[in-house]
Amino acid sequence: MTFSRFADKIDGLHYLAEKMELSGSRVRRYLMKTPFCTKAEVLESHFDILQKAFDILETPGTGPVVMQLKHLFTTVHDISGTLEDLKQHRVLDEIALFEIKYFASLCRDFRLLCEKLDFTSQAPDCLQPVFDLLDPDSTGTAGFYIYDSYSKSLAYARKKAAATDPDKDLALWGRATDRVLQEELLVRKELSAKLSRMYDVLQSNFDRLAYLELWFAKAELAGKYGMVRPVIVPATGTGTEVFSVDGMVNPVIADILAADGMTFQPVSLMLQQGPCLLTGANMSGKTVVLKTLALVQALTQFSFFIPARKAVIPLVKDVFLVIGDKQDHYRGLSSYAAEMLELDKIMGIVKEGADVLVLADEPARTTNPAEGAAILCALIAFLQQYNVRSLVSTHYGELDVSVRKLRVAGFEGGKATGRLDPASVSKYMNYSLIEDKDDAVPKEALLIAQLLGVDASFIQMAQNFLKKNGNERIQTGA
Amino acid sequence: MPFVDQILRYKSLSVVGLGKNTGKTECLRYIIRRLYELNKVPAVTSIGIDGEGVDRVTATPKPEILLEKGMYFTTVGSFYLQKRFTAEICHVEEIPTIFGKMLTARALERGTMVIAGPSDTFSLQRWIADTPQRFPVDICLVDGAVSRLSPASPAVTQSMVLATGAAYSANLKTLVAGTKFVYDTIQLPAAPEEIRMQLEHTTKGIRFLGEDGSMEDPGIDSALTPEQIKKVVETGREHIYIPGVVSNALLKALLERKDTNKICLYIRDFSRIFAEPQTFYAFLRKGGRFFQLLKANLLAVCVNPVSPEGYRLRSKELVASMQDALGIPVYDIKESGI
Repeated sequence: MTFSRFADKIDGLHYLAEKMELSGSRVRRYLMKTPFCTKAEVLESHFDILQKAFDILETPGTGPVVMQLKHLFTTVHDISGTLEDLKQHRVLDEIALFEIKYFASLCRDFRLLCEKLDFTSQAPDCLQPVFDLLDPDSTGTAGFYIYDSYSKSLAYARKKAAATDPDKDLALWGRATDRVLQEELLVRKELSAKLSRMYDVLQSNFDRLAYLELWFAKAELAGKYGMVRPVIVPATGTGTEVFSVDGMVNPVIADILAADGMTFQPVSLMLQQGPCLLTGANMSGKTVVLKTLALVQALTQFSFFIPARKAVIPLVKDVFLVIGDKQDHYRGLSSYAAEMLELDKIMGIVKEGADVLVLADEPARTTNPAEGAAILCALIAFLQQYNVRSLVSTHYGELDVSVRKLRVAGFEGGKATGRLDPASVSKYMNYSLIEDKDDAVPKEALLIAQLLGVDASFIQMAQNFLKKNGNERIQTGA
Repeated sequence: MPFVDQILRYKSLSVVGLGKNTGKTECLRYIIRRLYELNKVPAVTSIGIDGEGVDRVTATPKPEILLEKGMYFTTVGSFYLQKRFTAEICHVEEIPTIFGKMLTARALERGTMVIAGPSDTFSLQRWIADTPQRFPVDICLVDGAVSRLSPASPAVTQSMVLATGAAYSANLKTLVAGTKFVYDTIQLPAAPEEIRMQLEHTTKGIRFLGEDGSMEDPGIDSALTPEQIKKVVETGREHIYIPGVVSNALLKALLERKDTNKICLYIRDFSRIFAEPQTFYAFLRKGGRFFQLLKANLLAVCVNPVSPEGYRLRSKELVASMQDALGIPVYDIKESGI
């Protein structure tokens, strides 16, 4: 499972990838290929590196060197084609040989800068032997041609060719220059064979430069979004690990709010093994909580810092975010059918014993409430049976399951007066999560509809229907 | 030694041919040779493969350029690898073209090579700006292709030499008149600096300019189709910026307006004028004006009295009548001897 695959299923990963300052598609490809890491010791070593890069960026006075480094990233060429040629023992042409020499000299520059920044552990290896091979005259410059000093017969052939004049004797000149080309080919064959033997270090340096850039881009992203290093807990299989996050922020929504001069209210929560229900009024941000949790878990396991004040993250094998908006008209699936098939797939994976995080947004909401509630209960029972860490949001109340419940504190309507536009509803919403012992779910749908300015007589009609059904608990401003 | 001392007053020069076989290559060869003798280092490139580089119909590459030892040249990889002389690669561009990566090399001995460089105005401008920064060169030379067929404008260089000859027309009068027309478009005045700055980055869409320096976007892409021309003309606006082609039909339509004498057309450069000479001159006679955003100083006109079909005009007569008509120095490079 790669970053690219996760980015397609978890909101916000693509967004953050776009926010990273990368020099081009070469490095972006490396990011997209990053594997979802489940090994604690690997992640810890990655976080050590990232922390180091982060500290370098925060250290006063490093600015100019970091700028040089960033500029140097933009000068790296994509030589993957040439590297593939070396791997396959093909003969390189002059341009490819130049690219290798140029790459070797760039690695030298990178090593110097890494030394200045005390970041040598991630610096590329020294490619002096490669450079020397392509600089037989010790000019020290990055320019390249098939030097005379590579071969006496080449030097001789060139001398002879220079003595001919195509305007005077074209055939003679043709033969002489043919000879030069043959000699050049011999040299290129020899150089390519020698370089093929150094393929491993060349390829590893090429990779390292991309990783080096990614570390600094991740560190910069962390600075930009106030991200922190998570404490990670390896999966022990005992089911005792606790996920907890304090002051979690969704960077995508935070940016949208910031554009309107608003701020994202950080959310804190703790999840033990097993399921937990999440309730809350409409517009109370349940979906955002689920999406942000998925994002936080994924970021952790792709070696990013996370947008929170602090967090303890137990590692999982996979993250499932079931939002229920995946209707697939092309395959003739309704949103309900798509959701059921997705849950079925997840249950299959859980049964195989994989340690996963499941985040489901109002499952079975698109069918009738009686069956919908039953399906939800069955899902909770399943998650309980297999002890799957999961958060499931719902509007269904009085469910026949005994499970931990979190509720979004919700609408603080007392402060609201008059008609609200949809954007300003958020001003009166308290997004923090509280433990809820009550079986009922918040019923603020009509209140919110009213504040949104929905037709009063329509709301009154709905009120009447509610009363008829004997439900007097509904609160409205009317 | 005609006009080479003048060239060195500028940082860049393009050689533009009025047509194929009008002696552009000889002219460039002459300039390169003279610069070499003066111990000056030029960098040379050509307006790319999309221009004249490869004849799309016959698939014949354009003539090779003679490169002197020590000079820099920028071309694409596939042409470079066919070279039969020693040269040192100094820089390779990251982005590949269909003919391989674009690279800059230094000739370590004399040789010939097909040169195909940047193919759009922006890349060409960047080449002219970057090359002297990267390498110790005295002047950037651009093989300007048959100007009108190229998406890249040769007018991005500071100076220009125009090559013309019997291949364009074997009739002396027609040749002189044809050259004079191109000469007159090249010599159209440059737009005022503030307008150039304002319009430089607008490469798409007509703009109307107000007296107060305002710029209005009427939402017309170009002035090519009859409907577009009608829209442009009927607005009655006097200061019009046309980033693309200035067609014959547009000028004709503007001629029908009563206020032709107040009309100012702002154009990218001379190579965007695709009008009949008589329409062009009629527009100017009625008081219409053109301003070029990019204007190169035309240093000289080179004539080639021989056409590939074997027509031969008398060199002295050709030079004399051309010089009479244009009023700038005209040279027969072959006659003056390379």
